[in-house]
Amino acid sequence: MILDIRYLFLRLGQAVLVLLLAFTAAFILLSLIPGDGVTARFADPALGLSADQIAAIRSETGADESWISRYFISLGGFLTGDFGFSVQTGAAVSTIIAAALPSTAVLALSGFVSALVLAVLIAVLATYGPYRWLRKLLDSVPSLFISIPVFWLGILLIQFFSFRLGFVSVVSPGPAEALVLPTLTVAVPLSAPIAQVLIRSITDVRASGFVKVTSAKGASELWILVHAVARNAVLPGLTIIGLVFGELVAGAVVTETVFGRNGIGQITAQAVTHRDNPILLTVVVIATLAYVTINLIVDLLYPVIDVRLRTAPGATSAGKKPADEPTRRALSTTAASVGVDLAWDEKDTHS
Amino acid sequence: MTDLRPSTSASPRRSYGRRNFLSLGLGLGTIITLSACTPSDTEPLPEGGDPVQGGVLTYFEPQTWTLLYPPSVGFYPNGGIMNNISARLLWQDPETLELHPWLATTLPEINENATQYTFTIRDGVTYSDGSPLTAENVAANFDLFGRGDEARTLPVSEQISNYESSEVLDENRVRFHFSAPSPGFAQATSTMNAGLLADSTLGLDAEGFGPGGATGIHTCGPFHITEETIGTKLSVRVREDYDWAPPHLEHQGRAHLDGIDYLANNEYSVRIGAVLSGQADGVRDVEAPDEARVSEQGLRLYAKATNGINNSINFRFRHELLADLRVRQAIIAAVDRQEIVDKLFTPNYPLATGLLAKGAMGYKDQSGSWVHDPEEANRLLDEAGWSERNAAGFRTKDGQILELTVNIALPQPRSNEVQTLIQQQLRHVGVRLSINPGDQSKQTLDARDLDTVQIYHSMVARADFDNLRSNYSSVNRDVFLNGKDRDDAADESIDPEIDRLLDELASEPVTAKRQTAAEKVQDYLVANAYVLPFFEEPQVFSFRRRVHGFATEPVGRPDFYSTWLTGGQ
Amino acid sequence: MSLIDSFARTSGTGAPRPAAKRRSRTRASIGPATIISGLVLLIAVAWALFPGLFTHHDPNDGGTTPALLAPSLDHWFGTDQTGRDAFTRVVYGASQSLLAALVAVGVGLVVGTAIGLIAGTRRGWVDDVLMRLVDVLLSIPAILLSLSIVVVLGFGTINAAIAVGVTAIAQFARLSRSEAVRINTSDFVAAAYGSGGTFFSVLFRHILPNSTSPVLSLAVLQIGSAILQISTLGFLGYGTPPPTPEWGLIIAEGRNFVATAWWLTVLPGFVVMAIVLATHQIGNTLRKATS
Repeated sequence: MILDIRYLFLRLGQAVLVLLLAFTAAFILLSLIPGDGVTARFADPALGLSADQIAAIRSETGADESWISRYFISLGGFLTGDFGFSVQTGAAVSTIIAAALPSTAVLALSGFVSALVLAVLIAVLATYGPYRWLRKLLDSVPSLFISIPVFWLGILLIQFFSFRLGFVSVVSPGPAEALVLPTLTVAVPLSAPIAQVLIRSITDVRASGFVKVTSAKGASELWILVHAVARNAVLPGLTIIGLVFGELVAGAVVTETVFGRNGIGQITAQAVTHRDNPILLTVVVIATLAYVTINLIVDLLYPVIDVRLRTAPGATSAGKKPADEPTRRALSTTAASVGVDLAWDEKDTHS
Repeated sequence: MTDLRPSTSASPRRSYGRRNFLSLGLGLGTIITLSACTPSDTEPLPEGGDPVQGGVLTYFEPQTWTLLYPPSVGFYPNGGIMNNISARLLWQDPETLELHPWLATTLPEINENATQYTFTIRDGVTYSDGSPLTAENVAANFDLFGRGDEARTLPVSEQISNYESSEVLDENRVRFHFSAPSPGFAQATSTMNAGLLADSTLGLDAEGFGPGGATGIHTCGPFHITEETIGTKLSVRVREDYDWAPPHLEHQGRAHLDGIDYLANNEYSVRIGAVLSGQADGVRDVEAPDEARVSEQGLRLYAKATNGINNSINFRFRHELLADLRVRQAIIAAVDRQEIVDKLFTPNYPLATGLLAKGAMGYKDQSGSWVHDPEEANRLLDEAGWSERNAAGFRTKDGQILELTVNIALPQPRSNEVQTLIQQQLRHVGVRLSINPGDQSKQTLDARDLDTVQIYHSMVARADFDNLRSNYSSVNRDVFLNGKDRDDAADESIDPEIDRLLDELASEPVTAKRQTAAEKVQDYLVANAYVLPFFEEPQVFSFRRRVHGFATEPVGRPDFYSTWLTGGQ
Repeated sequence: MSLIDSFARTSGTGAPRPAAKRRSRTRASIGPATIISGLVLLIAVAWALFPGLFTHHDPNDGGTTPALLAPSLDHWFGTDQTGRDAFTRVVYGASQSLLAALVAVGVGLVVGTAIGLIAGTRRGWVDDVLMRLVDVLLSIPAILLSLSIVVVLGFGTINAAIAVGVTAIAQFARLSRSEAVRINTSDFVAAAYGSGGTFFSVLFRHILPNSTSPVLSLAVLQIGSAILQISTLGFLGYGTPPPTPEWGLIIAEGRNFVATAWWLTVLPGFVVMAIVLATHQIGNTLRKATS
């Protein structure tokens, strides 16, 4: 039995609950912020409005209603698909988000794919590289990548590759040109955990000695290795997909600010500055929705992939059950720490 | 970490990753510096020559525009756009500050007590949506700007006071009525805050004037909005049929440029880097410490005066600690303005000689009023009863520490560093200054609260006598928090004389008498030690060498009408 | 949550290693990398405790020194935009930055571990409620969460540190919960309950001590993460208010001049990278030693 319907509904229910709780928590947190966006905008000295004029606008926009009534008004709005209007510009939140979402999605996707490529490159060179010093060096690259302040990296990349070398332009670049440096900025830190998983998998597989045995029997070493490593690495890989989404939001805030890209990240940073709660609530809802969806899918895929992998060719010859057990334990801990419950770990499920 | 020699990481020995990356990075830094000078930028700056038509100028702002509703364009990114897409009834010369006709055929007829203004509108002017400029349309514009519309969250223009109604006299003539004298109105019709809008645009609400709606905003200036990428870019293109430039200008007809692309990027390093590397043509807001290096690297640097109230701190005398004149005088004596200007700024930021900049209307020289004299400061504070000191060396009275908080004026240059220096200077006389941390919204909100901010750092620019009123009056910006019914101060602590003098200024229709009234306001504020001005605040722009004829309007917003590019298209 | 956490997780903190017998990796190896890392951290701590021993300049007052000087023998990292010695500011910044990182990790460690242990020991509805709350914490983007918390608490180094710490709660809660579940189902805990142990006595005597080592190695790894996250807050304008020297602020302020004075952001950036890398190395060594 791979998919249990009752389990599916339970997980769906949990996802909806988390969504509602996240909305409420975000609303309460934002309500705790002293002062409101309407006052912050209209009291700006650049407008030169008097206190009476500001008070009139506040009452017009509903900023002076109690937070309980504002909570239900915005909750009702969200349920009916009305996200309200930006406090800072007056534009509909849906317009602002719709303009920003594609750019962030594209950046996230290209960043993720590049991180994957980069990680494979690092992992292969770190394990199969020609010299010992090179392998040693590359083995420490993931640690280095994770230690770089992302904004600092982005700024230096622009200075070097755009302003000094002129490889890409940051002023009115083409769509692909605009992606190169931001993608690199997102991909460098993201590739670190992926490379780490791959290096470990490859090392484990090679150390198990089974590759040598099977290749002695006549199979191609590469073929066996790829299969064995894939078997070891797919589940952690999936876990990472589940967790990197949150990272992409954080990465997007910094990367989009540095590169002047109009995306969810930059909008979020500016909305915080302007106390633009309707935008912030929408961002929270979108992020939570994406987060629970991705994790739900990953979660549901686990048992499917796990079963398939165990029956895959090569798995039977090498994959003795006991060898699997520690991997699964490791995975469940990893997954649990990033918000994924692994359904096949009996000791650690909620259902 | 201390080895600064550039290192080529060509021979990697048996070492560990960190070391190699360190040296690699240092090498990278060296390349950044070495390749910083492009050879073509070392010739002397070309000037003059005949304007060439064509080309699109790319121009960087630190922030994206927020609202293109004219009364709200005091925010620089908004104003930089509105000034170039809109035309106004009158035109103010940025040098002399004199008013000249623009869309009005002559200067307005004004009645004796400045409560009625009659304008005659030029023929043949069209908006970018094709609709004509008419007397009805002008009347409708000022009805909106003069009254605002709270239902649409469109605020009234702070520059138009006492507005009552409009009256269309005939096809070309419109009269505006005011409930009380409004001598600043003629100048108000010349600013970008009174940029005229087509009828179709006048009906928009705040959303329509905001991001996403830019191409629906129709104006009658030399450029019009053609394309908007929300959050990052706004393109304006020349209007070929623009033939109603201010007659006072030599340049008539269409603008030289084909258009302007306004770009926004929060990162200063990216903006300045883009101009240094030739990817963009211009940038606003060059930081003072960078000026020398930017010029060295071959860019044009323009510091444009903003002709307004100087960059100053205002003492909120209604707070108990600042109620004593001697305390205010002592703080003024303790501050070394010259050190601030010398240390943090450049000669483009002249030391203030009055509350207003030298070029501002109503300017009065009061340069002897703020003398740095720490001994005098100590004497005044002792005399005011602040003679005890606590363990940290700060003055106390009845157990209370002499401690004040100042805001950070984020839009103003290096506000935080200015305040940090003042903090050090005041510490020498035992006064503790706290700097209120926080982002733009927090600064704005905290500045309205006397208990949070007692010393208010600000600056405001408008080339009219009314600027004084905008800044100091309790019904406008109210820098002193001098209004009634406050929770944080008793009504009897109000100084009614300030508002009275400002009202006198605002209702004085005769220009010569306005100068006298303006000087009286300044004398009063200086005599009471309410304000300490630091420097005349410029807007500093940097442009590539191919950009010629850059100008600004009276308060330093870019005016690209007569700008042209070498080689054009 | 930050990448470094997921990185720590994927490198296997707290989990039994898949292939039990492997040379060099199962033993705690004190290699040259670890020794260098230890030295780097030692220097950082010395900077924090005795900054005056390492520099004779004033971190907050540049006097009459010109701004934006290039690195030289007297000014190793050059001077900043107000003529202050940049290296001195990095040295004096150590105390603020390290303190902030410790506060951040402390908040995550204490609150997260408490939640995780209670959830993993109590199970049932308590577990469900607590873990759903942790889900909520995880689902709100960490950066948005920490920015909002800074605005609520007020601007300042320690508040920024607390804001970063809150985003780490979920990590610690997840990890300590799974540890608690593992230990809770073991024979000796059953025996402890059997011999009359109460919930709290079992929690404090058996579960807490047995789950410390993976949680503590996560904590060490988190220090580097916290330094980076606080510097990101500084970059966005929500970190330490100037002029207090703090690494995030120093890099963030210096970046404005990267086009004309690259050293102001590049050199302090390397220092921070070296220190984050060092905490990471030490954390990994610790993890290997305890597993």
